[in-house]
Amino acid sequence: MAEARSNPFPASLRRVRLIASQTLAEALHLRLAWLLVLAGIMLVLMAQWLRDFNFGASELKFLGDFGLGAIGLMGTALAALAMAHLFFSDLMGATAGCVLTRPVRRWEYLGGKLAGVMALLALYVGSLGLVLACLITMREAQLGAAFQPLPEYLQACGLLWLKLTLVSAMTLLVCSYASSALFASSAGLLLAVVAHLRPFTQASGWLSWLRLWPNLALFDPQSLPAGDNLTVLGLLGLVGYWAVFILLLGGLASYVFKHREI
Amino acid sequence: MSQPAEVSWAVELDNFGKSYPVGWTGGRRPAVQGLSLRLAPGQVLGVLGPNGSGKSTMLKALAGLITPSIGQCRIMGHPAGSVEARAVVGYLPESSRFAPHQTGRGFLHYCAGLSSLPPGKVAARIDAVLLWAGLGAAADRKMDTYSKGMLQRLGLAQALVHEPAVVLLDEPASGLDPEGRLALAKLIRELADQGRAVVFSSHLLAQAGEICDRIAILGRGRLLAEGTRFELLGSTRRPVVEASPIESLYLEKLHG
Repeated sequence: MAEARSNPFPASLRRVRLIASQTLAEALHLRLAWLLVLAGIMLVLMAQWLRDFNFGASELKFLGDFGLGAIGLMGTALAALAMAHLFFSDLMGATAGCVLTRPVRRWEYLGGKLAGVMALLALYVGSLGLVLACLITMREAQLGAAFQPLPEYLQACGLLWLKLTLVSAMTLLVCSYASSALFASSAGLLLAVVAHLRPFTQASGWLSWLRLWPNLALFDPQSLPAGDNLTVLGLLGLVGYWAVFILLLGGLASYVFKHREI
Repeated sequence: MSQPAEVSWAVELDNFGKSYPVGWTGGRRPAVQGLSLRLAPGQVLGVLGPNGSGKSTMLKALAGLITPSIGQCRIMGHPAGSVEARAVVGYLPESSRFAPHQTGRGFLHYCAGLSSLPPGKVAARIDAVLLWAGLGAAADRKMDTYSKGMLQRLGLAQALVHEPAVVLLDEPASGLDPEGRLALAKLIRELADQGRAVVFSSHLLAQAGEICDRIAILGRGRLLAEGTRFELLGSTRRPVVEASPIESLYLEKLHG
């Protein structure tokens, strides 16, 4: 209590870090997470065999597009399913009761959960990005052609991670009031689909209210195949956009969860 | 973080009631109604009652996991659920399902890290509660290798690791063998002797009657009887923990 009275902020961060590392450790033991990682790797490697269906694009461009698409697809599923599973395994077991009866604020608990899933997604994007990079590099060597400089590739992976973390934050918001992991993960995936379709709301007036929802299409790494990279200012703007929505979704989830009875 | 001027009661329930909405009609089903109780530091309160009588609801409200629909719950003078109250509470939930991949020691480190225990005391406290719980040899094993009784003892260990002033135990004897139940009864008395207030729910009426200073009997969410052992049982004997004849025989045969 003395710690909380004298210096509450570092103590809060310490608790968030503890909950995040516990969440990450649990996530790394999730069979579902490994299944999705395996499916992602297989999809990325399948690009090698599907390269004939490139719709006229260069082979390396197809490999990059297909690989990043596969990482994004499996990553979206991982972001929603892992968040819902980790949240409800605590809540349905005894862990949430043990944690939330200690001097842990509800926002610290949710912040730790979100940070843990974000770390899992960083590992996922990093490892599958590495697999894709190896595949492209091998093909570059075989064809004797250059495709994409490393910084642009890393940027594409970074944008993908930002997008996936937004999906996990949307799922966290649903988790804060939902009563089952199945509902939370399904609703999280549905919200991710809505956020991917956000650009279509520009055209139709009656869907304009959806502009309040994050636009995940902004994070699609279109610069990779086209070669026209984001400016530093544009990238910072995108990171700012991401941070605002992470804070909004996280804040809303914390507000709802604060009043939830365990 | 205001400190109350004088703390005389460790646990207070004032006209506590909890009801839950039923369907879409706006109706509410009461789980607990008009419950008023007080417990001083160093006392043990046993809450007895059939399933669905409101024992867990009462303990959850004291732990701050649910908010009262009416009335008040206070821990050491602070509203239950406030950060100040949670800093002095140790809570054992009804279920003892924890992360199966983690070791018992790892889980206690996690719980101790989230408490207001000074970092320098963490390792020593974990060793002490592991020893008490009889989990010293299994401390570094994964929890998916633990029996139900071991998980229950680990749950008790996490509730005590940060040396709380108020200990709330929901069915602590569940899953424990006779030896474990005797050890639990001794522990509860030891905690009270150290000046801690202990509230626990149980179906084991005889044992509760032996170790409690105060007894509360709940039925259908209402307080049916509450008082000291003397008031309810006419017993002037100080609460003691001793094995019954059948328990003595069992332990003798088990340990030779």
